[in-house]
Amino acid sequence: MIDETMQEQAAAYALGALDEEQTGAFELSLRADQELRALVRELRSVTEALAGTAPALEPPAAAKLRLLAEIDQQLRAKAPKPAAPESPSSAPASTAGSRPVSAPVSEPVRSPAGVHSGVPVRNVWIPWALAAALALVSLAFLWQGAGLRSQLIAQANRINELTTSAELARAESADLRQAVAKLRASNRLANFRIALLDSLLAASPKTIAVSVWDNERQDGVFIVRNLKPLQGDKDYQLWIIDPKYPSPVDAGVFQVDAKGNVREDFRAKMPIQAANQFAVTIEQKGGAAVPNTKAMVLAGS
Amino acid sequence: MTANADRNAVDQNQDAALIERIRGGEREAFIAFYDRYSSLLFSVAARVLGERKEAEDVLQEVMLVIWNKSGDYDPQLGTLSSWAVAVTRNKALDRLRARTRRLRLIEEAASLAEDSDATAYPSANEIVYGRERAELLRDAMKELPADQRMAIELAFFTGLSQSDIAVRLQQPLGTIKARIRRGMLRLREQLGGAL
Repeated sequence: MIDETMQEQAAAYALGALDEEQTGAFELSLRADQELRALVRELRSVTEALAGTAPALEPPAAAKLRLLAEIDQQLRAKAPKPAAPESPSSAPASTAGSRPVSAPVSEPVRSPAGVHSGVPVRNVWIPWALAAALALVSLAFLWQGAGLRSQLIAQANRINELTTSAELARAESADLRQAVAKLRASNRLANFRIALLDSLLAASPKTIAVSVWDNERQDGVFIVRNLKPLQGDKDYQLWIIDPKYPSPVDAGVFQVDAKGNVREDFRAKMPIQAANQFAVTIEQKGGAAVPNTKAMVLAGS
Repeated sequence: MTANADRNAVDQNQDAALIERIRGGEREAFIAFYDRYSSLLFSVAARVLGERKEAEDVLQEVMLVIWNKSGDYDPQLGTLSSWAVAVTRNKALDRLRARTRRLRLIEEAASLAEDSDATAYPSANEIVYGRERAELLRDAMKELPADQRMAIELAFFTGLSQSDIAVRLQQPLGTIKARIRRGMLRLREQLGGAL
């Protein structure tokens, strides 16, 4: 049973409201009391719930990129450094100066072992030559290994770069969503209909579009990113879904640039009362009177 | 409540697996953690500091703590996210203490605590845990007596000690301690399986 004083301390500890000295003393009690630890664990979850009552904000995309760049730098620093690769032609020269090879080379000169052992001098060189050859082969493998390691590290870095790019695209998408949410919340834009259109294509999850419709002026702006460019005989066509009409209203055709981006001003072919939803389909060049719903690529409200 | 409790257990298991992978230096696990909790931590830092730029710096610092010092996390004393929240709050308060406008921010925090309509905005809980659970948490906060809620929010978001809160609210220290204790225990009871 935890008494009220300890409960008070546990509550203040979970909130971070104890001073340094009180914290130290309380943590000593914590070590010895399992029930108290369980209480603190629950109260910390209460604190987390309290923290979550803060107004929701998304960090900017740049924050994530800055962080990942730092992490990648740390990872690179921790990665085993590849041995400095030398050219194959330089390997034998450097090998000659190393201990296993140089010792046998000088040995016969100072102490002709062949004379003492009775073995002809030229035969004494054979095992040394073999050893030298083996050492050279080993070095060649080492050099190749170092090269492969360098390639692997380069590939890993490339993968990290690509991952960062993908993260950037996702972050941009999150920023766009946040911008739309802010615009929606703004009273200044009360007459505007702002819609975020998501990709309906599994192969193009990064595609995203925003449509801003001014009902008073009966025109709008359409911005799209990462939409696949079409062949010459096709057009993308924008549609407005207004409950006043039995079928979607034509809002014009468009093409995207090589990067899949475009910003288009558009007008509807019929007066719009309520632009409830927007959709984009792929149609024959010039557009269609009614949408080909099987070729719908973007939709949103 | 049962669904919340089940989902919470799943979240905690996922977090336990995540922290193990982060400890192993797995970049993807770190990104998963960032994607899951960056909004919450950024929102907390911005709430404490009252501005976004510095909150961004705090988020960066906290995330590097998660990456480099995840060994400091003790699962016996709370979930991974509650630890991350505590680190965020402390780092934000460190910066706040270094600033002269602390007093003004405390005033703002006090106004927020007094203003029951302040809970009308979308909360960070909604982003991280979904609307249902966020509403449960919000309702629990709203049902708390105002004096308890204010003492708790002042302690958490402004970093005032219990003695400072007592002076500020012109109440005996014992009263403040009791308000914080009662409020926290009541929240624990009301949130139950959602925690």
